[in-house]
Amino acid sequence: MENKNPISPHIQIYNWHISSLVSISHRVTGIINFITVTLIGIWIASLLLGEENYVFTNFFLSSLVGKFVCLGIIWSFTFQMLSEIRHLIMDLGYGFEQKTTKVTGLIVLIGSFPLTVIIFLIGRHLI
Amino acid sequence: MVQLNLPANSKVEKGQYYKDKTGSKNIRKVNVYRWDPSTNENPRLDTYEVDMDNCSSKVLDILNKIKNEIDPSIAYRRSCAHGVCGSCAMNMNGKNGLACTKSHSELDGDIDIYPLPHLKVLKDLIGDLSTLYKQYESVEPWLKTSKVNDKENIQSKNDRAKLDGLYECIMCACCSTSCPSYWWNGEKYLGPAVLLQAYRWIIDSRDEDRKERLKKVADELKLYRCHTILNCTNACPKGLNPAKAIAEIKKMLATA
Repeated sequence: MENKNPISPHIQIYNWHISSLVSISHRVTGIINFITVTLIGIWIASLLLGEENYVFTNFFLSSLVGKFVCLGIIWSFTFQMLSEIRHLIMDLGYGFEQKTTKVTGLIVLIGSFPLTVIIFLIGRHLI
Repeated sequence: MVQLNLPANSKVEKGQYYKDKTGSKNIRKVNVYRWDPSTNENPRLDTYEVDMDNCSSKVLDILNKIKNEIDPSIAYRRSCAHGVCGSCAMNMNGKNGLACTKSHSELDGDIDIYPLPHLKVLKDLIGDLSTLYKQYESVEPWLKTSKVNDKENIQSKNDRAKLDGLYECIMCACCSTSCPSYWWNGEKYLGPAVLLQAYRWIIDSRDEDRKERLKKVADELKLYRCHTILNCTNACPKGLNPAKAIAEIKKMLATA
């Protein structure tokens, strides 16, 4: 017999915690990184077909929009990196106390932004 | 399957409003999820104005007050009222917990009370936990030993200490029903409560079935749907750490 009882509300009502926020962002950035790496691979492969391909991509990445895309991609990578380090530590069985998970979660969330700026500036030979 | 939206029959509608009749100046609005299986109506959110001057400190006291003085038709599970039985687990202001140990002074603003998330509702605040109990049964939560002597089955102090933080679990299901992985894969993924119980028997020094137990949970769906979201540890009203227990199982499997 089919159960026609309603399902109690879940994601609609459940509070977000730092750790759940980091977890979902980890997934989203993971997907973004997957796509990015593929695109970079295609970009590099396109070089084999001639210089103009490189010039075209370079033109796009040097534009204002391109720079924003770059920043976004770098943030996605730094976030994933920091979050992955957090996961590695947890896989070893450490850092499961509620306070620790909050602090490490905040480090990942906040730390990814300055790290993004630093990597971007290094990439632009500004530092 | 991930289904973010509630199905049509589960959408929560606006319910009735019960105005305060005591004339109290210290009023708090309490929104309670209601669903009556004898009607074909959708669930609704009823609002009660509760006189807080004459109400004890816990959320369960509010519910008892509503049931005794305002609306006797409201249904919820409760028994010991001391955080031991785990009956009154529910979602209060967006977080799972036991109504009997949760002080309403800790909650901000109007109080929203829902059943434990993503369960089939039986009535009002009562969710159907039979899947979880079946999963609990599947980990065979009892001591397996070949010893048949009539003496005590002795354990060293160290080995006994390994059970601390595990044996206290009261199976209230706050953790499992807070876990998004359990929401989307509740039929297959065992969930934090059951995995913590599984771990409790895996590391019991008196149990002789460790290898078999590990083999049984080592499954893509049963165990590895845990993505360390940590909602479970945040929710546990007994202050236990199911996420860590699951991590320990994963570690044992990785290093075995």
